[in-house]
This record gives sequence, C-alpha cells and structure tokens, in this order.
Amino acid sequence: MLNVMFVMATFIEPEIFGPSPRSMLWLLPLVAAIAVIYKATKLPVIKAGNFIKESAILFASIIAFIVVAALTLHALAWLITG
Amino acid sequence: MALRSSESKTLFMFVVGLLSWLVPGAGHFVLMERKRSIIIFVTVCLTFCIGLYIGSIGVVNLFGTAPWYVVGAQIMNSPMVLVLGRLNTAGAYHVYGWPNEIGQIYTSTAGLLNFLCIVNAVYLSHLRGTQTARG
Repeated sequence: MLNVMFVMATFIEPEIFGPSPRSMLWLLPLVAAIAVIYKATKLPVIKAGNFIKESAILFASIIAFIVVAALTLHALAWLITG
Repeated sequence: MALRSSESKTLFMFVVGLLSWLVPGAGHFVLMERKRSIIIFVTVCLTFCIGLYIGSIGVVNLFGTAPWYVVGAQIMNSPMVLVLGRLNTAGAYHVYGWPNEIGQIYTSTAGLLNFLCIVNAVYLSHLRGTQTARG
C-alpha cells in the first residue's frame, strides 16, 4: 500500500533536473514510442519477430540521424566560433 | 439502398474514429486488429504516463498558459485529459522549466501518435467498407 502511495505521489510532484547532457537521455523512450506506433500502423501483418526487428531498425535510424545532425551542428559551431 | 449503405459506412467510420479517441487502440480492436490495438494502447498510455511522471499532472494545463498547439495535441490522447485539466484548473500543481517542457513534449507526442492511430483506424474501416461493397 505504501509503495502504491509512493508511485501515485510521483505523478503530482515533478522530477527535479535541469538542461544537462544526461537529461538528453529522455529522448530515447520517446523515439522508441514513435518507432513502435509508426510500425504498428504501417506493417500489413503484425508478427512479434518482424515487428520488433522493424521497430528496432527505425529506432536506430532515428537515433543515428539525430547523432549525425548533432555532430554536424557541433562542427559548424566549432568552425564559426573558432 | 446505395445511399443507406454509404450512410452506414460513414457512420461506422465515425464510430471507429470516436472509439479510437475515447480509448487508444479501441478503433483497431473493433476492426479485429487485436495485436495492433494492444500495442497502440500500451505505447500511447505509457508515453503519456512518462510525461506525467516527469512533469507531474501540472503539465496538463488546458485552461491556463499552455500554448494552443500543446493543448490540442494533449486532448488527442483521450477525453480523460479534460478531467486531468479540470483538476489543474486553479493551478493546483505547479511545474516550471525543464520538467515542464519534457512533460509537455511527452504528453503532446502521445496525443499526436494517437491521432495518427485514429486516422489509420478510420482509413482501415474505409478500406474494409470498400472491400465489402465490392464483394
């Protein structure tokens, strides 16, 4: 019962964190949700193995694109500011 | 007769869309897409709950200072969001800064993902109706 109360309490008090590199990790569950829902609507037939594989490929593609975009912007910023 | 068939098809599509909005995945469930409906329900609810966990229910600020596009996206989750919004009418749950932004991004994205599922369910019901009419 105490555990249930504790879990409920976490929904009425915000987490305490600021804009740090570590907080960027909150991106990962969101990307996973987007990949799963997109594949759930696009695949003609849902089979566990194929669905997980397709979702994982999309998840990895999105993350790879974000990393490439971040590195490009970082390099541009480094070139401009010296 | 054709008119009645067209009307019933439109009504069915409307019901599927409405069900999908009331409970994420319910539209697909009605269309006998059970696996799809379970995946959609779990993923949308989990994403929305993560948003509430990060920023508290204060991120659902429908009648306050939240931008219209955030409110619109959050409402697409389910009408239950309106109940959460009523709880937070008087600003009972304060949340600022980074947790507020991340929480709003999560809850809004969950709503937009459910909107995608609503459109998909309505399109599937349209396809089923067309296939049935053609035999």
